[in-house]
Amino acid sequence: MTQKLRSTLILLVVTPVLLWSMAGMDVTPARIAAGFPRAATMLTDMFAHPDWEYWPIVQQRLIESLQIAALGTFLAGILAIPFGVLAARNLVRSPVPSTIGKVLLNAIRTFPEILLAYAFIKGLGLGAFAGVMAVAIHSIGMLGKLYAERIENVDKGAIEALTTTGASPVAIFRHCILPEVLPDFVSFVLYRFDLNVRSASVIGIVGAGGIGFILGLQYQAANYPRLGLIVIATIATVVVVDSISAKIRQRLA
Amino acid sequence: MSDVSTGVAAKAATLVSFKNTSVTYPNGFTALTDVNLEFHEGEFIVVVGLSGAGKSTLIRTINRLVPPTGGDVNVLGTPIRNISDANLRKTRRRIGMIFQNYNLVRRSSVLANVLTGRLGDLPTWRALLGLYTKSDTDLAIKCLTRVGILDKAYNRADQLSGGQQQRVAIARALAQQPRILLADEPVASLDPPTAHQVMRDLKALSREEGLLTIVNLHFVDMAMEYADRVIGLHAGTVVYDGPGADMTEADFERIYQRKIRPDDMRGAAEH
Ligand SMILES: Nc1ncnc2c1ncn2[C@@H]1O[C@H](COP(=O)(O)OP(=O)(O)O)[C@@H](O)[C@H]1O
Ligand SMILES: [Mg+2]
Repeated sequence: MTQKLRSTLILLVVTPVLLWSMAGMDVTPARIAAGFPRAATMLTDMFAHPDWEYWPIVQQRLIESLQIAALGTFLAGILAIPFGVLAARNLVRSPVPSTIGKVLLNAIRTFPEILLAYAFIKGLGLGAFAGVMAVAIHSIGMLGKLYAERIENVDKGAIEALTTTGASPVAIFRHCILPEVLPDFVSFVLYRFDLNVRSASVIGIVGAGGIGFILGLQYQAANYPRLGLIVIATIATVVVVDSISAKIRQRLA
Repeated sequence: MSDVSTGVAAKAATLVSFKNTSVTYPNGFTALTDVNLEFHEGEFIVVVGLSGAGKSTLIRTINRLVPPTGGDVNVLGTPIRNISDANLRKTRRRIGMIFQNYNLVRRSSVLANVLTGRLGDLPTWRALLGLYTKSDTDLAIKCLTRVGILDKAYNRADQLSGGQQQRVAIARALAQQPRILLADEPVASLDPPTAHQVMRDLKALSREEGLLTIVNLHFVDMAMEYADRVIGLHAGTVVYDGPGADMTEADFERIYQRKIRPDDMRGAAEH
């Protein structure tokens, strides 16, 4: 197939799909044109004059988001270990546990965090604790998968060597596998913490505590200067957390 | 020289006996056919043969990394073909093993690696918590001293040279307080002087501790230099069993299916 033919075909497929999507959302040039000035006013209100008086509350809520992320990530980091062990293919001869583990982890991972947040708010009430649980459960999916893959890459030779000493499987896990994988596990957890600072901020909007909670409130109230401060502070926090965690992860490598 | 070893071997206990042992791998390939051998306390045995002759299979059958599929192997008084998991672990405790690629836990310290040799004898809860006893640590330090690398005790294992890593592996095996020491091509990754040093260490340990030591070697000259007894394998059968010095041109050709060549030699020790 020539390059040209392929481009034409792609265009033939993409164009109708795009048009169909736009029709569904009632996107018209007139609406877009009308939207620009409104967006411009809102952005000017938000970022040209953020409401610094509001800072103490923003600070308090940001810290709460960081705490939700930290506690949720920590819990997930621990709880993901049994899942990772279960899902790793190289620990037991039978492929059954590993398959069960992998299916479980995929199921957890595909379940959206925001739905978990709603579920925990229903069960635990509004607030940070629901946020912690939503973050923790969702993170197990990714961490468990990364753990399992790391365990599968453990040096076979060392495992064999300890097997020949007559060490029990538990002892081999503790003294051969764990020392090799632990630094990488810590690195995965730090990376997940980065992501969780973001999600902890977002799930607050539905009532799971933290900065998202006041973001939701101020959005409803259309208080754009306050909203501006919240957004600036959140982005700054995310950037700082990212760079610190990247530095630590580099050290661990 | 040989009067000491043969003198010991003559009345020494039999630690390993292959009885009509065969090994067929799951893919249907038969790597050992009807092997009958007895190995005794204090013997230093070298197994030679072409690549693929079954040297690794023979050695790995002793600690049942490879299960026998015909006949049986009696190891330290226990037939291992149908042994239970628990009894296998118990038997393995007294069998140290050394590998071509050292097989250390790379991110752990040298001392931690040697201590893993104690895990088999440690209660599970102690193993889980990493609570070695004082005597375990003392023994590990003694083993490190023995192989001459106590000064590296707190280095990470992967920071050591190949020769040093192999010594850590030997110390780990010694920490098991073994009666049998297996070594599968232990010097294949080392340069000749280091290789000879490791062979001398193994030989000295075998003598001093009365260990039955079984070493696989690719090189004939090394086998003749160190072995009390040479086992020649060809295509899964034993074609020579006797002192290295007695080996004739015809024996070589039975093992190697051709005349001896320079690349069957590693080069003599630089004494
Ligand atoms: N796990 C296995 N499955 C099937 N065949 C194997 C396996 N391991 C070894 N073999 C075969 O058995 C024969 C002997 O192998 P090995 O004992 O490793 O010989 P050596 O150590 O003398 O080189 C070789 O032909 C090898 O390909
Ligand atoms: Mg081999």
